[in-house]
Amino acid sequence: LARSIQHTSVRQAHRKYEPDFHDKYGNLVLLGGAAVFTTVWGYVLTQLGMEWGLSPVGRITPREWRE
Amino acid sequence: MLASRAFSLIGRRSICTSLCLRAHGHAGVVKADDFTLPAYVDRRDVPLPEVAFVRDLSAQQKALKEKEKASWTALSVDEKVELYRIKFNETYAEMNRGTNEWKTVLGGVLFFLGLTGVILIWQKHFMYGPIPHTFSEEWLSAQTKRMLDMRVNPVEGISSQWDYEKNEWKK
Repeated sequence: LARSIQHTSVRQAHRKYEPDFHDKYGNLVLLGGAAVFTTVWGYVLTQLGMEWGLSPVGRITPREWRE
Repeated sequence: MLASRAFSLIGRRSICTSLCLRAHGHAGVVKADDFTLPAYVDRRDVPLPEVAFVRDLSAQQKALKEKEKASWTALSVDEKVELYRIKFNETYAEMNRGTNEWKTVLGGVLFFLGLTGVILIWQKHFMYGPIPHTFSEEWLSAQTKRMLDMRVNPVEGISSQWDYEKNEWKK
């Protein structure tokens, strides 16, 4: 079961490792997840027509109410 | 009684387990299973594991171990590295290496948070009724002025945010 060092990495004396799932797909998952998140929530927050109940402070201009 | 029958070497007809079969050449001693022997482990807090990593050396490696008994200055760098690799599996640097796992984790988290947003879309489409008229711009502006006229929450709340002199929201 002797594990010899790859001849190409003798100078480094470190192992070469087989890429794992995160090495192969990590970037894809990260960017994909971020893309799904931004599209969905961008839509929900702006286009869907939800009432978010935001504060009137700094947003609503008061208007005379007495008839 | 049973034990002596099992390990008896007097006839060849003793009752044997599979372990006994292997022990026939060893005067009745049961061969130890691997999990009972000291084990090798790559751990930061165990710098010198109980056994070397490579247990069964090739002929080449055996020759190298013989050479190790002489002066170490005679060993080449490659030979020293090979001796290291016989004794140890991973170096500390290799043992401590980071991974890209965080990308998968974060990406997964963001994806499922996105799915939560899809739930909201479903709710708006299939479940919520129309938004009450009291949320229209027209109504809210009148409502806000009435609240300010009444001095609602003047200490820290909405009326404290309104500048009554300049007739505008405080900056």
